[in-house]
Amino acid sequence: MSSLADRLRGVMAGNVLKENVGRPLSGPPGASDPGVPAAPAPWGGVERRTDIEDAAQLLGGEWGERHGHRFLVIDRKYPPGHRHGQITLADTLPPEDGCWPRFPILNGPAAPSRRGRMLFIDLETTGLAGGAGTYAFLVGCAWYQDGGLRVRQFFLSSFSAERALLEAVAETADSCGAVVTYNGKSFDLPLMETRFVLHRLETPFAGVAHVDMLHHARRLWRREDPAGDGGCGLGALEESLCGHVREGDVPGFQIPARYFHFVRSGDARGLAAVMEHNRLDLVSLAMVTARAAQLLDDGPPAARTAREALGMGRLYERGGMTIEARAAFLRAAEHRDADTLTCAEAWRAYAVLSRRQRRFADAAAGWRQILDLRRCPPAILREASEALAVHHEHRLRDLQAARAFALQTLHLNATRSRHQAAQHRLARLDRKLGDTGAVAVPLF
Amino acid sequence: MISCAMLPARRTDPAHDTALQTALDRLTAGVERPDTPDGWVTAVRRLPARQAEYAAFPDGFDPVVREILRDRGIDQLYTHQAAAIGHALAGRNVVITTPTASGKTLCYNAPVLSAILRDASTRALYLFPTKALAQDQLAELHELSDQGSRRTGHEIGVFTYDGDTPQDARRAIRGRAHVVLSNPDMIHSGILPHHPRWAKLFENLKFVVIDELHAYRGVFGSHLTNVLRRLRRICGHYGSHPVFICSSATIANPRELAEALVEQPFELISESGAPRGEKFFLFVNPPVVNQQLGIRRSYLAETRRVASEFLRRKLQLIVFTQSRLTTEILTTYLKDDFDGPPGTRDEIRGYRGGYLPQRRREIEKGLREGSVRAVVSTNALELGIDIGALDVCVMAGYPGTIAATWQRAGRAGRRSSRSAAVLVGSSAPLDQFVVRNPSYFFDAPPEHALINPDNLHILVDHVKCAAFELPFTTVEQYGRHDVQEVLGVLAESGLVHRAEGAEGEGHWQWTNESYPADAVSLRSISSDNFVVVDTTDGADVIGETSFNSGPATLHEKAIYLIEGALYQVEKLDFDGRKAYVRRIDCDYYTDAITYTKVTVLETFEQGSGIGDQGSGNPETPGLRPPVPGPSRHGEVHVSSRVVGFKKIKFYTNENVGSGELDLPEQQMHTTAYWLTVPPEVMGALPYAADDRRDGVVGLAFAMRQVAQLLLMCDRQDIGISIGSGEQGDDTDLNRAGFPAKLSDQPRIFVYDNYPGGIGFSQPLFAMHGELLGRTQALIAGCECAQGCPTCVGPVGNTGPLAKTVALRILAMIATPPQLEEGAA
Repeated sequence: MSSLADRLRGVMAGNVLKENVGRPLSGPPGASDPGVPAAPAPWGGVERRTDIEDAAQLLGGEWGERHGHRFLVIDRKYPPGHRHGQITLADTLPPEDGCWPRFPILNGPAAPSRRGRMLFIDLETTGLAGGAGTYAFLVGCAWYQDGGLRVRQFFLSSFSAERALLEAVAETADSCGAVVTYNGKSFDLPLMETRFVLHRLETPFAGVAHVDMLHHARRLWRREDPAGDGGCGLGALEESLCGHVREGDVPGFQIPARYFHFVRSGDARGLAAVMEHNRLDLVSLAMVTARAAQLLDDGPPAARTAREALGMGRLYERGGMTIEARAAFLRAAEHRDADTLTCAEAWRAYAVLSRRQRRFADAAAGWRQILDLRRCPPAILREASEALAVHHEHRLRDLQAARAFALQTLHLNATRSRHQAAQHRLARLDRKLGDTGAVAVPLF
Repeated sequence: MISCAMLPARRTDPAHDTALQTALDRLTAGVERPDTPDGWVTAVRRLPARQAEYAAFPDGFDPVVREILRDRGIDQLYTHQAAAIGHALAGRNVVITTPTASGKTLCYNAPVLSAILRDASTRALYLFPTKALAQDQLAELHELSDQGSRRTGHEIGVFTYDGDTPQDARRAIRGRAHVVLSNPDMIHSGILPHHPRWAKLFENLKFVVIDELHAYRGVFGSHLTNVLRRLRRICGHYGSHPVFICSSATIANPRELAEALVEQPFELISESGAPRGEKFFLFVNPPVVNQQLGIRRSYLAETRRVASEFLRRKLQLIVFTQSRLTTEILTTYLKDDFDGPPGTRDEIRGYRGGYLPQRRREIEKGLREGSVRAVVSTNALELGIDIGALDVCVMAGYPGTIAATWQRAGRAGRRSSRSAAVLVGSSAPLDQFVVRNPSYFFDAPPEHALINPDNLHILVDHVKCAAFELPFTTVEQYGRHDVQEVLGVLAESGLVHRAEGAEGEGHWQWTNESYPADAVSLRSISSDNFVVVDTTDGADVIGETSFNSGPATLHEKAIYLIEGALYQVEKLDFDGRKAYVRRIDCDYYTDAITYTKVTVLETFEQGSGIGDQGSGNPETPGLRPPVPGPSRHGEVHVSSRVVGFKKIKFYTNENVGSGELDLPEQQMHTTAYWLTVPPEVMGALPYAADDRRDGVVGLAFAMRQVAQLLLMCDRQDIGISIGSGEQGDDTDLNRAGFPAKLSDQPRIFVYDNYPGGIGFSQPLFAMHGELLGRTQALIAGCECAQGCPTCVGPVGNTGPLAKTVALRILAMIATPPQLEEGAA
């Protein structure tokens, strides 16, 4: 019988074959796993590592050490005059006290308020799957300091240093008042939490306000792009908002493989670009956040597009600033570049907010605007006619008009239950009309 | 079920008992009737009534739990409950194998609840083989925990956590659940890889409950052992050492199985203290209608007749069938016979997977309350779903194992009145063997559940998952093989990396982007599969088939069956792993002819002579010097190819056509048991070469049936092959895919149909004597003239002498010719 190792190799070879056959390739062919060394080291032997000190020099960092475990800390300072595309950092800085006045709106309505600096966080990880075997090998942090942006990256140069690294991250995060991420609600922060819990450490982010700019960016800057993500990837935003085009950037799918290569060989050359990629992400994140916060500070007239105005209105509404919200919705609806969908959504938002404020006449005016739109999405159209039917039946007590709107509702495509509800309303209106002796309008 | 244990015993109802007796008399009267030449009822056994035996509450039993039980009418525990609870509370692993409805769930719910009430941080994990079972237990457990909460003021969280749990509920469950009800698949892919999120559970895990332990055999069980190895690694990381409480149906080796799955010592509780009414067990074999071809009357028609005898006398009934299709057919038959006019309430119901949960709950409730008089079910009702106890259980077809048969029979059985179970055999070989040899079922020990957790294919997959969950240390052990060597090979593919630690102890770190648990399915050995695409209107995926069985079931022109609907395969895209099918209306199905060639790579053990291993056959005197016996087991290479197919007519099983196919060869390394027919036996057979070949083929056919029986496995778990076992091609094939010419010492291989083997070969080798003895009994006991699907295979496949020659070979192996010469 062959040795255990040989039999295992046979099993593995079968698996590789099987996996290659059964699965569609993700990413460009040939790039799926460049981390596998061409010539495997004989089993049991430890691969000879190139001098680890080279990594510090190559990546421009200094060693941090705790409990005898070393990790790399890379510090960078971006001065006020730093240009990111067409934007100068100085123009995006928050006021003296470290935060934009209306920034808390981005936290959401119930966010705990803790004073302290904003901390921008972006991770580079060994995979996207999550779970205990996905490591954050690079924790990038950034904050405003001395009129510029400070970036500090914690690099996991060996797995055994993870606990030490996390403790250092926790210290950096300790005094922050809010954490800002891009898609951090579903990825970065849960992953950090997993790492901290795995080492039985307190997570430093519990109870700290968390602003996930991805969601705000979608509100403010999503474009018509049915196939993609609406131009709301950080790279795309960087280009559209700051006019910054990256050159020689590492594609995201290559990042884990470059790290694994370093782990096996000690060769950190492929990682310099990963560090830079992470820093650019942090700078962009800060700029995108600044743009959103400044828009909110400047008020609805500052909106450049209808979409932006609509998004601002929604943010104001979340923050309880209804006057600004109404103004922003109106600006969106009446903006010259407003397409039908944005216009309809803006009027709808305006009407719903007005109704909540018991300004029923304003609400009705908003709904009527929707009925006048050409090519309005049927769902919004139906909602408008239904709202108007209710308005005329219960508030204006104009049963004839209510009936006309109810009829309109009935003729719009809708689900079975909605259709039944509309029929119900019609029947009730007809009954009422009969009771008061009014003449019913013939149905057909 | 607890609820059964707690119901006050129903008083004996003489009218009910009389009705049952009358029905049984009617059925057994058939034995003397002239139209039943072969003994219609082949067995009538009476299992006597048994009194309840009680025991005191064990030490450490929480007084609040005692109060809760008292409120529910339980003042004392049955002996098995007290013993099991005592072991669990004392921190000893325990496995319980008492019959259905003996109050098994209390054995684990009571200690778990006790521990939670004493220390609110206590956590418990329940594993059920299916989601439906977890749901059923949830309701039961909720009642207990609610009463516990009410009495103590502490909320006790009990939740199911499986693939159906909504994403937004998961976080809350992780935080609040004291008891998590789940299944091995979810533990494997959803909980263990995310263990930090479950830190609270793993830090405080006191009990792991594994219900329906016997379900974890073969591949599934081998996977479960590895999942539990990983679970115990994680528990170790968080500093907990849970006690395992397992419950199982009656199998021969419950303690062995528990210890093999959990890899820790277990206490066994097998004596039930629950009371039981008198019970009758009948075997019915439908009469032969064509002696020549060995064709019997339809077992479904026979089941209908048997069920009617009981239904007519107002007895409540459950009918078990072997498939969803037969469930629907029998439901229709019985509804025609017994349901009232349209509009009245349905008293006859069907029950199977695929029914919506609401409908199922309604049927279960109807059974408990008595408004449903009969239910026809697949094995969906075999496991612990609460339907109360019924009067009669009729099984249409042998469930496949002794354990499952007892479990189904256990669905009938009142506390104090009579009940009955009737098994109606179909014409399938296993069924025929069992109904004709009742003592196999009643008097022999039940099957052994076998697993092989160190199958390299399974092991490697789980070592990957474990490395993802927590880095292995360079001194850590895992399983029977040297895991350090396994990790070394994984490192060659870049999946893990060995990092030296400062203190000399290094770690193996997971260095891959993937989430390895996603690529491992616990229910099969390979995650590769074929999908079946229905192109009748559009392109819908209607099913899937494992990679191994794909070519045999999805070749072009194959008939693919799903829920009774027939589809014909129009195109098999082998590389794309897709089969395109179209609905068809026809009266036949297809059976693939697979040619399999087995090459012996290494022999692990060989028998020293007939009867010396395994069964300890008393007829074998120890006079003979040890000569190499004809049996072996070892590692083999199997290559198989689907070469053609037969069209078989439904119901009559007539062969109505055939076709040739050319599909890619599949290869694997696995383990096998084999029997060598010695050249002196072959040489001494007084038959022509073709007849000798037919005898060997027939013998192999019969051995397969018996091996399946002995191994408690599914038909597709093992394969057979005939050949020399040496390199080279056997070119000419006969109609059944066997070589047309045999070598002078042909070998019959029974191999594990999974890469790497799943642990059947060694036990089968150990049971060699029993295997041949039972094969002899099967062939000799069959009434057919020249062979039928029940013994050596249909005459069309083998020749007219197959039966005779097969028996002759067996006799000559038992008493080798050279011994006769020596004696003379």
